[in-house]
Amino acid sequence: MVLQRNNVVISGEGLRTILFSHGFGCDQHMWVQVARTFEPDFRVILFDHVGAGQSDLTAYSSAKYATLQGYADDVVEIGQNLGLADAIFVGHSVSAMIGALASIKAPGMFSELVMVGPSPCYIDSDGYIGGFSRDQVLELLDFLADNHLGWSAAMAPAIMGHADRPELGTTLENSFCATDPEIAHEFAKVTFLSDNRADLSSIAARTLILQCREDIIAPQCVGEYVHQHISNSQFLLLNATGHCPNLSAPDEVAAAIRAFV
Amino acid sequence: MSDRPPAEDFEDLYENAPCGYLSLAREGHIAKANKTLADWVGTSSEALVGTPFHAILTFGGRIAYETHLAPLLRLQGFVNELAFDLLRSDGTKIPIIANAAEKRDADGRHCFTRITLFKAIERRSYERGLIDARDQAQVAVGAGLETAALREQFIAVLGHDLRNPLSALAAGIGLLDQKEPLSERGRTIVEEMHGSIARANALVANLLDFARGRLGGGLTLSRDADQPLTPVLEQVLTEIRSIAPEREIVASFVIAEPVNCDRGRIAQLASNLLSNAVAHGAADIPIRIAATTDGSSLTLSVSNGGAAIPAGAREQLFQPFFRGVVLSSQQGLGLGLFIVNEIAKAHGGKMTVMSTADETRFTFSMPLVG
Repeated sequence: MVLQRNNVVISGEGLRTILFSHGFGCDQHMWVQVARTFEPDFRVILFDHVGAGQSDLTAYSSAKYATLQGYADDVVEIGQNLGLADAIFVGHSVSAMIGALASIKAPGMFSELVMVGPSPCYIDSDGYIGGFSRDQVLELLDFLADNHLGWSAAMAPAIMGHADRPELGTTLENSFCATDPEIAHEFAKVTFLSDNRADLSSIAARTLILQCREDIIAPQCVGEYVHQHISNSQFLLLNATGHCPNLSAPDEVAAAIRAFV
Repeated sequence: MSDRPPAEDFEDLYENAPCGYLSLAREGHIAKANKTLADWVGTSSEALVGTPFHAILTFGGRIAYETHLAPLLRLQGFVNELAFDLLRSDGTKIPIIANAAEKRDADGRHCFTRITLFKAIERRSYERGLIDARDQAQVAVGAGLETAALREQFIAVLGHDLRNPLSALAAGIGLLDQKEPLSERGRTIVEEMHGSIARANALVANLLDFARGRLGGGLTLSRDADQPLTPVLEQVLTEIRSIAPEREIVASFVIAEPVNCDRGRIAQLASNLLSNAVAHGAADIPIRIAATTDGSSLTLSVSNGGAAIPAGAREQLFQPFFRGVVLSSQQGLGLGLFIVNEIAKAHGGKMTVMSTADETRFTFSMPLVG
């Protein structure tokens, strides 16, 4: 049930397991290029958060997913289902914090965390620079509501459940990163209003922070903040620009993860 | 010569096209923009080159671009019908619709992202209006459902509370009947009052069953195949005859095999069908009730004469609160047939209706070992 709910896809062969977790706005497709390079010597796990991609939309509940912990609990359930121990969690964007929360809840499940463009808190507050003001986040939520019509129309074929007809997947417009607009709106709220700064010190896993240049979602000072507050962590500034190095520079990201593990 | 139209100038077409053109370099900076677009945002093409694309987007648009659209572009090479707001140099916004496609080289490497933008002020405000209207409709539907649920709860409570005064009345009338000396006229009145109480009790039972069904409980059955069904049906017949002594009811019960049913519910079903026949059937044509078993199923039918039920009404007969055209003195709540149908379904059986100018017949059938 859990594996279907989160559209868990397992590939590769190896003694260690590496799990890739996507962030807000996309689905597991965004990890495919990086994940592929680990298949020869790792067991590779990809999945969609509930509400994204080919996850079971009926499993979505506004109450459960009102905090990142709801998503982290799903990760723990997937890990328990697959008997993960000392595995590697690679999380992009908001999934970096989801992985952190999962590692805190289930000690021993993940011995390594790789955070790609993490941010424990997006909104500025007394002395802390997250990069966003509260008003900006509200503007973002308005924007998502405005785009609702365009999104729902474009996403409809993917959402209406052609999962049983994969041959349609390649021709459907926007069949990647399919997101139910309502859920996207709620996920954005949870993501950009989250504050997990207090959780950073509880992270016991070895952690690698991968920081991009010119990332307007997770600026460099935020990546450095995360590094300073996780005791056993390393910080690496990539050459890649923007917020999605897993797509724009998959080779650089894969090499950095490989060197770390 | 002077009649020849001037040739199209591609340079001019690009610069002054009735849409904005934009090319982004690999890292997301503007590599080229046409004059139309530069005019929209209140700057020059030269000034735009080299600035990040997100600099001319509103904040929400930037985040959506970075988290959703940029990945989508990388993965599928194009994105169509994006709704965006452009940020002008004076801080005002221009609603636009855009298509974007990646230009890749022979090796599939990304060279440029080309974006074509159209002003969409009217269209976007229309869409905004549609979204608002939908939100309002959802609120209204929610309120309607709430009212409906409340109404059904009210019905349940009302039905329940009516039971007590009705039993008190029934007990009182019973005392009058058995313990008090009554005149001939008094006896007749008491008998009619018995009938009225029975009818009121039946209505309350229907109300409660309706509310139970609607409020999620559904009909509950306590089946018992060991007890005979015929005496229960005879009892119903006696009750209906006492309520409508002037009507002729012809009964034929041939139930040779055990029926795994809730006998109380089947009695209720038969009672509702007979009451219906009394209310709607022609007074001078006998009502017929027949129940038979045939080795695998039980069939119970009730028929009466009178005008046929119009075809259009037949489909709605089993809906709650449906009422045919009857004398106002005979009006019920319109729940009788709804409950009948619910009882049939709960037994794994079904109701059918046949209606002609000669006869209207309701038939219930269910498997013996349901």
